[in-house]
Parts: sequence; structure tokens; C-alpha cells
Amino acid sequence: MTQAAPQATRSFHKLRVGETRLEIGGSAKTIVFDLPGALCETFRWRPGQHLTLRFNLSGEELRRSYSISSSPFSDDRRLSMRITVKRVEGGRISNHINDNLKAGDKVEVMPPFGGFCLDPGAMRRRTHYFFGAGSGITPLFAMIQSVLSDEPHSVVHLVDGNRNAATILFKDELDRLCDAYPGRLSVSHLLSSPSLWSGFRPWRKGKIDAAAIEAVFAEYPPYAQDVQYYICGPGDMNRFVRTALTSLDVPVSRIHMESYGGAVAQDDTIKGMAATARVTLGDSTQSIEVAEGQTLLEAARAAGLTPPFSCQSGVCGACRARLVKGSAEMRARMALEDTEISKGVVLTCQSLATSSELEVVYE
Amino acid sequence: MTVARMMHVLPVEAYTSQEWFDREQAQIFSKLWRFAGFSEDISEPGQYLSVQAGLNNIFIVMGRDRRLRAFHNICRHRGTQLLRAVGKTQKAITCPYHDWTYDLEGRLVSVPEEAEEFTGLNKNCLGLKPASVDLWRGMLFVHPEPDPGSIMEWFGKVEPHLGPHKVEELVEYPQAATSHDIKANWKIVVENYIDVYHLSHLHSGTLAMYDHARAKYGFVGPHYAFWEPLAEFYARDVEKNAPMPLVLPKDQLGASVPMLFPGLGLGESETSWSTFHVIPLAPDLTRVETRTRVKNASDWEFSTQEWRSGAFWGKHISGKYAVEELGEAEDPMTSGDFMAEDVYACEQQQKSLKSPYFEVGASAEQGESPVRQHQQIVLDFLEGRR
Repeated sequence: MTQAAPQATRSFHKLRVGETRLEIGGSAKTIVFDLPGALCETFRWRPGQHLTLRFNLSGEELRRSYSISSSPFSDDRRLSMRITVKRVEGGRISNHINDNLKAGDKVEVMPPFGGFCLDPGAMRRRTHYFFGAGSGITPLFAMIQSVLSDEPHSVVHLVDGNRNAATILFKDELDRLCDAYPGRLSVSHLLSSPSLWSGFRPWRKGKIDAAAIEAVFAEYPPYAQDVQYYICGPGDMNRFVRTALTSLDVPVSRIHMESYGGAVAQDDTIKGMAATARVTLGDSTQSIEVAEGQTLLEAARAAGLTPPFSCQSGVCGACRARLVKGSAEMRARMALEDTEISKGVVLTCQSLATSSELEVVYE
Repeated sequence: MTVARMMHVLPVEAYTSQEWFDREQAQIFSKLWRFAGFSEDISEPGQYLSVQAGLNNIFIVMGRDRRLRAFHNICRHRGTQLLRAVGKTQKAITCPYHDWTYDLEGRLVSVPEEAEEFTGLNKNCLGLKPASVDLWRGMLFVHPEPDPGSIMEWFGKVEPHLGPHKVEELVEYPQAATSHDIKANWKIVVENYIDVYHLSHLHSGTLAMYDHARAKYGFVGPHYAFWEPLAEFYARDVEKNAPMPLVLPKDQLGASVPMLFPGLGLGESETSWSTFHVIPLAPDLTRVETRTRVKNASDWEFSTQEWRSGAFWGKHISGKYAVEELGEAEDPMTSGDFMAEDVYACEQQQKSLKSPYFEVGASAEQGESPVRQHQQIVLDFLEGRR
């Protein structure tokens, strides 16, 4: 049986690296891609979305997702799509990119994906609060640029947490945006262990906790009353900021978040059961066996299917599908909203069968 | 057969009948964004204020996240108004009647004797009815619907035609607030506000510091925009002769006097920024509340400016008629106060409307065109064209 080709939007394309730039003293690298005109539509992105990169290192295929850190609303989209990759201790891909990737190299990239987005509207008038930490600033930076350029009646407040002044990504770019959009952008830097020798004075010392959030609301109260809150940082931080926000009466429906570069809360007590699953991918449907303890994604790949996937930790959402029959439980589900889950959407990389017969449709 | 007597576009009864008044309340004042105060009226979590907006009573309250929420001020039990005027609450809003209690998201959180008296009560269906609130140019606005779209869809197109004032940087001058109950229909009051023709006649002694001949004006959607420069004799030495510290840079001096629909006039001048809030009370009774912002400057700076400009204004402000002419000391026409002149003109016009002999004559082609256009806009709203 032949497998139908996955949709163009979830297959890999070879893109040429146009330019690279070292950030924060070589601890991170920005990669700007050269988008050929023919791929501009396929690679149209929404602020906040990420790209999945595929590498083959010593015979092993590895995939990682990185947020696009630029606005899609620039004058020339072919020259503006970029990611910024921070070195992760022991991280094979992040260090490979930082050590080796250079202009002219070809990289396999899956088109933009992800539900953590901010779509600006010319007549919308909102106050956007962003809470970022470390490399969590990358999707937020794309969102901030987009609001400033394409949502002219709205105001942005960024609270950015870092270890010390030398590790603040995009610090100069943020300064320039503050100058370019007076009265529309405030940036509050928090440093958890500021260096004594640095001349940089942060807004506050410590982490983004309830006290810091209350202080930022008092200093920069919302003006436009359609207020939205975006959180992006290492796993723990998201949970803490979300709890702090709800304790200050922020309704959950206004909080948007994405987990980044850290442990995601996982429920390892789910064991699942052996099952038979009918999997629809593209135009074809096939029955596969799922073993106890095996995820739907693992089972599909073991059966020779090529479903889309990326992070394999429940964060990116690339492997999402709809469960139309049977039941499954997810170990982690960061990438999904509650309303999606209620409609049967699952992350196949996190789903274990809990009924003996399943039907799964990749849409 | 009787022919309807007309005020140009609208019939005279639009200014006198309860039926017209009720339709306007339902179809205009209860369906659009309405002015609810200044941003500083609610500045701390827990503070609230309630406002009558047409038929709706809406309250605004600030949460601990400093975001404002708006709800219809109606308890979901027996409909009692929950909150009065202004005040401060903590995390909950309790109805005084039976102590039904709501949180700041409007959720019904507690019902006394719920188990005994309300078997199977679904509190989720009895939350406060949400309304909308927003801040724009330092002003609070409410809308009766929970999702009316952005306030910029309503004001966005007229905004570029308003004054260049940085309203948020000005401060209220509370002593300048006024409230007038004018014995005239609200449209008479609005028409007076947007009548360009009357400026150099009724106000010949009170508004001559502006050059009415060079005024620019017109409607942007339902909103009226108006701007005029300073008169040359005033502009020449304005730093010395302005009655208060200037709030605009020298190359942007002038007065913007828009009328935002329905019935929110702004007076955006070289020295102050005011709201002129038109509140219909009855077919022949209208309340106008004004509030004023000025430069954030010291008392000393204000006193100095007043002292420096005193002689100039003594010479250039006068009543329309001299006291000797009328023989009355307390007369709006001798007062030298343009607001008093306007109130007088509005009430004198309303008095005539019930006369069987009432009839309007010709309307000025340019200077009174806004009056006719405003009548058309009101008609469009009542007949569902807007």
C-alpha cells in the first residue's frame, strides 16, 4: 500500500540560510532564512508560530522546533523569517546550530505551525502584557513587533526575566522599538542574579512572581480594556505566572501560553492498553496495532506511516489529530486548548490508548 | 389634513413628544458607546461607579489586575440595582435585598439558604449580564453589549480630526465642573453646539478670540468635527494673553470643538480640554454636565498667567448687550459667559415649539448645514439606516 503524501504544510523543505548572527556573546545564534518566492505562501506565518528543523547527525534523525522571532508583516517577507537558537547544555541540535550553521547552508524546515499566536487587527485596540523568560522571548518578540506595526491603537507591556544583563536576548532591538514607538511599548527587565559589575540597572531583581506582576500592573495599568496576557518561558515559570495572574482576578480565557526549553509537566502514571487503531493520513486509511505503553505516534511510525510530528513532548502541536472513535489519554497536552480537547483533538505523541479500538484522523 | 410642521429635516414633534423621546432612548442612547466619566474616576482595584446610559444602568468595577469590567447593574434574583453611584468594594458585589453575591467576573458565588430554598439552582446561569467598558482619550465609555467590537470602530475615523492634545497628561480642574438643566430638547442643545452661523452673532462678545471665518468643519460618520484658529489679535501675543498656561505647542494653536454622537461635545482649546455631556431627561429637559482638564502646572503658574492676561480679557470679553442697554444686571445677554448665552438661546427656541404659529425660515447654507445633517443622522438611527 502506498502512503499519500502528507500535506505540503507539514512536509520538510530545504531552505538556504541567508545570514547568521551571534547573540548574547555567542550563547545564541540567529538564523535568517532565504525564502524563495515560490515558498512564500507555504511559509506564511502567524506571529508566535514556530518552525520545525530536521537534522541528520551521525546517522540519527533529530527534530527541534524553534519560534520565529520576527514579524511576518515586514516589507519583504522573503528576507525576514528568522529563528534564534540558544545553546542548551548537552543539547545536540542547539549546539550544532551554534557551532556549525552558516550562511549558504541548506536546512530542512517544516512550514510554520502552532496555536500560540497573536493576530493583529488594524482596528483592534488592546493592551497586551507579555511575560517571557530566557529564550521564551523569541515568539513574544515576533508578536510585539507585529502589534507595534500592524495594530496601531494597541499598547504593549513586556516583562522579561533573565539571569543577568549579558543573557537578555534582543535587548538592543527592544531598546530601538521603545524609541520607535514612544508611549506604546514598555519593557521591564527582571534579573535573577544581576552581575555586580554590569552598568545595567534592571527594573527589578528576582523572578517574575506575583509581587512583580502586581507591580507591573500598578506601574503600567491597562489603558485599552481588551487586555490579553501571553506567557512563554521554561515549564515552571508558565505555571507560576498563570497562577499569579489568576490570583489577581485575570480570567483564564485571557491568558495564552507556551512552554519553552524546560521540563513539561507529564503524567507518567498513564499506561494505556493494547489496541487496534484505524489511522487516516491524507487520502488513505490503514489499521495499525498499538502496544500497551506505546504512543499513537510511535505505533503509526512503527507501522511505516509518516505522520507529522516535531517536539515529541506535547509542546508544539505538530502531531495533532482528531480522535473520532475510542478513547485515549495524554501524558502532556500543553499545546492544546481545553476547547480543542473537548472536540476530540489529541497530541498523538502523548496519547496512549484506553480503549481497544480507535479511529484517528490527521487533519 | 394637517401637514407635519418641520424643523428642516425632523418634524417639530421630534423635539416635544414623549413618543419620540422614548424611541431615541431605546434606539440611540441605549445601543451605542456612552460617556461614563474620566479615567481617574476609577483608579484603584475595587473602585466602582454606575452610570445611566439610556435605558441601561451599567456599573464599572476595577479588578486587582487593574482591568475594568462592566455589568448591567441588575441582580439576577429580583432585578434590584446592586450598586449606587460610586464606591469601593473588595472581591465581591452583594445585592442589598437578599445578599446574593457575585464575584468581579460577574459569577453568582453565593445564595443565602441555597440548599433549603433553591433546590437544583444552577448558579452558572445566573451570572451578572456583562456589558463593555473602554478608555479612550482619558474618558471612560460603556456599551450595553458584551462584545460590541473595538471602540475604534466607532471613534477611529474621527480621531484624526480631533485636537492634538495629549489628554492623559492634562489634569482635571474640579472647580470648573458644571451641571446645567436646560429647558430644551437634547437636539436643540446639540444643534446649538454645532451651529457655526451663530458663533459670531450670539457670542460676538464672548468667543471673538477665535477666527470663525476660517473654521473647518464637517461630519465623519455620525460624529461632527470642528476646528478654528485663534483670531489674529489674540494669536499675536498669546503667551502673554492666554488666560491659563497653554496646553498646545505654538504651531498647533486653535480650538477643536467636536460633537461625538450621541451628545458628547468636546472643547479642546489652546488652554483647556473639556467634555460637554448631553443627557436627555425629558422631551423638553436636558442636563449638560461639563468637566475640564488643564495643564499639570503649579498654582503659581496659573496665577501668573491669569494676572498677566487680565487686562487683555477685560478689554475683549463682554456681554452681547451692555448692562445699560438692558437695564438688567443678572441677564445671560449681559453676562459675558458664552455658556449662559447658549442656554438662553436653547430655552428661548424650545418655548416657541408648541405655538401653533411656530415655523422655521431659511437655514444657512454653510453655517447651519451641520444642524440639518445631525437631524438626518438621528432620523437614520431611528429608521434603522445606521
